[in-house]
Amino acid sequence: MNGWLLAATVELGGAGAAALWGTATGPLPRRVMAQNLATSAVCPALLLLAQGYGRPSYVDLALLMALLGPVGTLVFARLLADELLDDRPRAWTLTWAAAGLSAAVVVAVCVATGPSRAMVKLLLIGALLIGGNVIASRALAGGFRGVRGA
Amino acid sequence: MTGRTTLLAVGELLAWWAGLALLWLVLVSSVDTLERIVGASAAAVGALAARAGRRAVTWR
Repeated sequence: MNGWLLAATVELGGAGAAALWGTATGPLPRRVMAQNLATSAVCPALLLLAQGYGRPSYVDLALLMALLGPVGTLVFARLLADELLDDRPRAWTLTWAAAGLSAAVVVAVCVATGPSRAMVKLLLIGALLIGGNVIASRALAGGFRGVRGA
Repeated sequence: MTGRTTLLAVGELLAWWAGLALLWLVLVSSVDTLERIVGASAAAVGALAARAGRRAVTWR
């Protein structure tokens, strides 16, 4: 057990469990926002695990998750547009907190990796993760006319 | 199709190809000749798809 694995465990046990709880219980807007934030909770943990196990190729999992998570949220935002019309899910504090957490993890893993192709990949994952997270949260809050529905 | 639009189309395809090939080279685990060939080919197909996709949404 090294520091990276400990950090990943804390992250999964805290943010991951909170996202799971939020998705499984409560009213629809909260659930849909929690499943959106689950990407930002789990993806940094995957980066930390890849670093902790010393297997850079495990980073591909985080890349896929950063790419597909926000896309999934956009599908939910479109399909649930009518149900979410009256009560828009908004969680900007949590969204930016998740973005800050992602940025901190990416910076830490980048520092450990050092300047190389692998670092460019990590930065790409970070950009996808934070950008996708913010865009998906905005879509849920009704910020895009094409996704918002009626 | 006039000479100007052909030039623009080729330029756009080249730009997509360069971006996608660069992305490939960043994401693969080891850079060797085979990866370069496969990456360049995949980026060429991707560039055609990217231009088609861009044209499909631009009319909006």
